[in-house]
Amino acid sequence: MFLTRSEYDRGVNTFSPEGRLFQVEYAIEAIKLGTTALGIRTNEGVILAVEKRVTSSLLVADSIEKILEIDTHVACAMSGHTADSRTMIEHARVEAQNHTFTYEEPIPVESVTQAVCDLALRFGEGADGQDSTMSRPFGVALLIAGVDERGPQLYHTDPSGTFWRYEAKAIGAGSEGAQTELQEQYHRDITLNEAEILALKVLKQVMEEKLSNTNVQLAKVTKEGGYHIYTEDELQAVISQM
Amino acid sequence: MDSITLRLPHTVERPAEATNYEPTTRISQPTVTGTSVVAFKYKDGIMMATDCLASYGSMARFRDETRMTAVGKTTLLGMSGDTADFQHMKHTLNNLLTQEYDMDDGQNLGTRSIYKYISNIMYGRRTKIDPLWNSYVIGGIDNGEKVLGFVDYYGTTYQSPTIATGFGAHLAQPILRKYVEGHEDEITEEDAIRILDDCMRVLYYRDCRTFNKLRRAKVTAAGVEISEPYALETNWNIAEYVRGYGPF
Amino acid sequence: MDFVGFQQELAHAPATERHTHNRWEPYVDNGGTSLAIAGADYVIVASDARQSNGYNINSRYDPKAFRLSNDAILATAGYAADAKRLVEVLEQNAQMYYHKHDRVMKASAMAQMLSNTLYGRRFFPYYVFPILAGLDNEGKGALYCYDPVGNMERVVYRSFGSASALVQPFLDSVVGFKNQRGVDPTRLLERDQALKIAVDAFTGATERDIHTGDWLDIFIVDRNGVTHEKRELKHD
Repeated sequence: MFLTRSEYDRGVNTFSPEGRLFQVEYAIEAIKLGTTALGIRTNEGVILAVEKRVTSSLLVADSIEKILEIDTHVACAMSGHTADSRTMIEHARVEAQNHTFTYEEPIPVESVTQAVCDLALRFGEGADGQDSTMSRPFGVALLIAGVDERGPQLYHTDPSGTFWRYEAKAIGAGSEGAQTELQEQYHRDITLNEAEILALKVLKQVMEEKLSNTNVQLAKVTKEGGYHIYTEDELQAVISQM
Repeated sequence: MDSITLRLPHTVERPAEATNYEPTTRISQPTVTGTSVVAFKYKDGIMMATDCLASYGSMARFRDETRMTAVGKTTLLGMSGDTADFQHMKHTLNNLLTQEYDMDDGQNLGTRSIYKYISNIMYGRRTKIDPLWNSYVIGGIDNGEKVLGFVDYYGTTYQSPTIATGFGAHLAQPILRKYVEGHEDEITEEDAIRILDDCMRVLYYRDCRTFNKLRRAKVTAAGVEISEPYALETNWNIAEYVRGYGPF
Repeated sequence: MDFVGFQQELAHAPATERHTHNRWEPYVDNGGTSLAIAGADYVIVASDARQSNGYNINSRYDPKAFRLSNDAILATAGYAADAKRLVEVLEQNAQMYYHKHDRVMKASAMAQMLSNTLYGRRFFPYYVFPILAGLDNEGKGALYCYDPVGNMERVVYRSFGSASALVQPFLDSVVGFKNQRGVDPTRLLERDQALKIAVDAFTGATERDIHTGDWLDIFIVDRNGVTHEKRELKHD
């Protein structure tokens, strides 16, 4: 892919003669080094699952957080340079709270996604009148899950600032295999419980370590309960159904 | 040798007893002013009149002022209040029209647009507590429809088939409403002129800041036309019978 | 006197002289009355269209109730210039909301936004008494009324404006069933009753209040959208 790499990958905002922004493409590439994360949409709600790479037995697994709450009805899972996601999530949370303050209603899930993507291209020198927050593109992809009046939704954002809506999506190192598996297993009538199990099954297939209730995170966003992250016990209960 | 110290006004100390310092404001009082504007809709468009006087307090200071101006091709603007602020407004509108002309896009600013523009300036200035000391009447034909609107230094706006500012609101408006209201599409030009002159005559009789030299203007499909100054025929014979306003 | 001395003296001058003396009032009361009544599945809004300034009638038809969307009406009273600007601000925000979120702003969202908009001008208020009418998320009639600085209250019926001191007690009696025995004070009116009461209220207000009259704008919001009618009031 990058055999024709030239000087055009130096400036973050410089197009190559073929019309590509290499730095953005490299950032997308960086996600493929990240841990696997996946999301599955069902009619009852959305499931998010991530793999935690516990690289040392001395590492406190609880300290790895790759699923975060944006608002009571929106959550997000990430892969890539997870530190980059702090800025984006902070922005999303502020945007969500602002919306609630202004309109006394929850922000639509797509609007949260759009707000996050608005940030994605604010790198480089910054256009006139707006300041850039980053010197380079964000190296993180997000899976944004939420429920609003349009029902449960799952969005995928990447460093180019583009977003897509998915029924089921996997990102990160194991995404290729995971996506193929999701494609085969997903059906429109899938229940939330089936989705929980499917999520862990798919993760298990692409994980190097043995899946346990400490090296994965599972969360759901439902109309009734909003965002909920599974405790180790709840996780164990799902694992035992696999 | 005796010496004389001359001090510039702004370096003169304020007398110690002067304690009522007022807040800095940009409010001025009107200085040279024009009185009523009278306008209404008739069959062919809009008819409007103002006299040619600009007063300095009670002094008839400038006796050949024009308080109406065409704004673009199909809009007429009449003014009462401070003449300097009117000049500022004309200047601003001229800038606007020049910009539009430079666009050269075949678009013509309609009366509604100009009315909105002037209204926004007036409301904007009142919001800055720096009002333009005027009332404006804007008349014209926009998309074949007659438009007649008012805006004052509060930014208050309204549209009506008959509009009169200042003293005219008290003296001319009742006459206009009697003859015009409900007949806006029927009144001929001759009738309109008669009604307008009647109003201006009453104002000349009763408003001390008027002058028997006035201009009439109309906006029709053909465009804006502002007349040369003319005088009204008046009759002061009954004046000597008027009793009750003075010692005799 | 040096600059510091001048400043000190200014600070010690009575507040009234420093701030209120010689100040141009940037507000006028343009009169007029608005009223709204909520029902089980509709809401009715009525405003007269006279605009006045003191004893002068500026215009016989200058509407002060506005359709903001397919299910929200804003009725105003007070200073007409501020009311018109406020409506423009709300319309603009509603349009931006539509583009940003790809959906029409609901009346409840509009209600909160209006409160914020008014409070945003806490120290130079819009001199407007707004009533926002629409349907809530269950389809019931919803009325939100405000003071000029954004205090908001959801009510079943309300009148604001120059004849509100006449109309509100009338509504208290015939819509709120206040101080009456053997009636359910929470009972909601049928649409035709509410319409009749609204019209009667304005007929009466027109008789007793010189700032109310000429024309009556009536808006009815229900699940099918907004209907508008214009009725004549006395022109005197």
